[in-house]
Amino acid sequence: MGTIVFAGAMSHVLDPEYYDRACGALGRRTVQACMAQIAAMGERFSATNADALVVVADDHLNAFSFNAVPAMCVRIGRDVQRMSQDHAEAFDKVLEHMPERYPLHEALAGAILEQGLEAGFDLAMSWEAPIDHAFLSPVNVMHGARAIRPLVPIWINCFVAPQPTARRCFAFGRHIARVVAASPWTVGMIATGGLSHFPELSLSRVGETDTVFDRKLIHWMETGDHEPLLALSADELHKSGEHEFLNWMVLLGAVTPARADVRYFGELPRINMAAVEWRLA
Amino acid sequence: MSRYAVNSLLYRLKKDAAFRARFVTDPAAAIADADLSDAERAAFVARDMRRINELGGYLHLVMSIPGLAGH
Repeated sequence: MGTIVFAGAMSHVLDPEYYDRACGALGRRTVQACMAQIAAMGERFSATNADALVVVADDHLNAFSFNAVPAMCVRIGRDVQRMSQDHAEAFDKVLEHMPERYPLHEALAGAILEQGLEAGFDLAMSWEAPIDHAFLSPVNVMHGARAIRPLVPIWINCFVAPQPTARRCFAFGRHIARVVAASPWTVGMIATGGLSHFPELSLSRVGETDTVFDRKLIHWMETGDHEPLLALSADELHKSGEHEFLNWMVLLGAVTPARADVRYFGELPRINMAAVEWRLA
Repeated sequence: MSRYAVNSLLYRLKKDAAFRARFVTDPAAAIADADLSDAERAAFVARDMRRINELGGYLHLVMSIPGLAGH
């Protein structure tokens, strides 16, 4: 019987240079402190010697463009390449020094996909889509110099309205937990992004965050009180800059009713950075 | 206003380096065939990413087009 042996969620632009440019020395110190906690989480994940790491994250209009924007997509195949961008700027630049290819756990990805369709989740699939910083920044910080475990990248459409609901993301997480439980594998799982930043996806509001909303989400995760999270609306998430919390909702569905421990929370005048780990039985 | 036209143009500017170079040289000529409103066209010609974002351009695109990104 398979088991989820590690579960964490974290911010996903893990680049001191980026935050130094955006927020000065405070930005550098904050992201470095957050990265240290994520690296420690990675050491705990590696100690489990898990067969696979499921990574739930969002695309930033890199893998998918306006020909198709899947609500939920499972990356299948044997390996996955990192997104390439000429003259990369901003959050794309964090990818530049990372390895170009990563192994996938083909069988687990296939099981999540195939059993998902049977269970009523109309998942998209991709053999070719590359993964961007939302996946690779946390994965690389977690693994450090250690070999990266086989990945199962899963995209949630967090940004291009209309997005899947928080409730549906949670239900998909429950599905992943059922697939893992019926499998022979030990599995780690992370969700990435957030916390509050870029409210209303407005360039003129870059620099604003909603710390009160973040504290509310954190309280519910710490207490294992997940019911209020199911009712989060697209409008609430959009106004508070919590778009990427949809990724976290998938993870919450997979581990509910586990309680979370906040390893790091730091406010910046651009984004509130966080690293959270769940207590698994 | 066309969310598709604005964002497909932004995506092309990000991913197609040759098109981006033509746009930098002569923005009006580079986007002459794009199906844009007058306001959208004016914002692109002015390289005004804040305005493009207000007109429906996705934030992560307007923040990450090499050499043209808004911050």
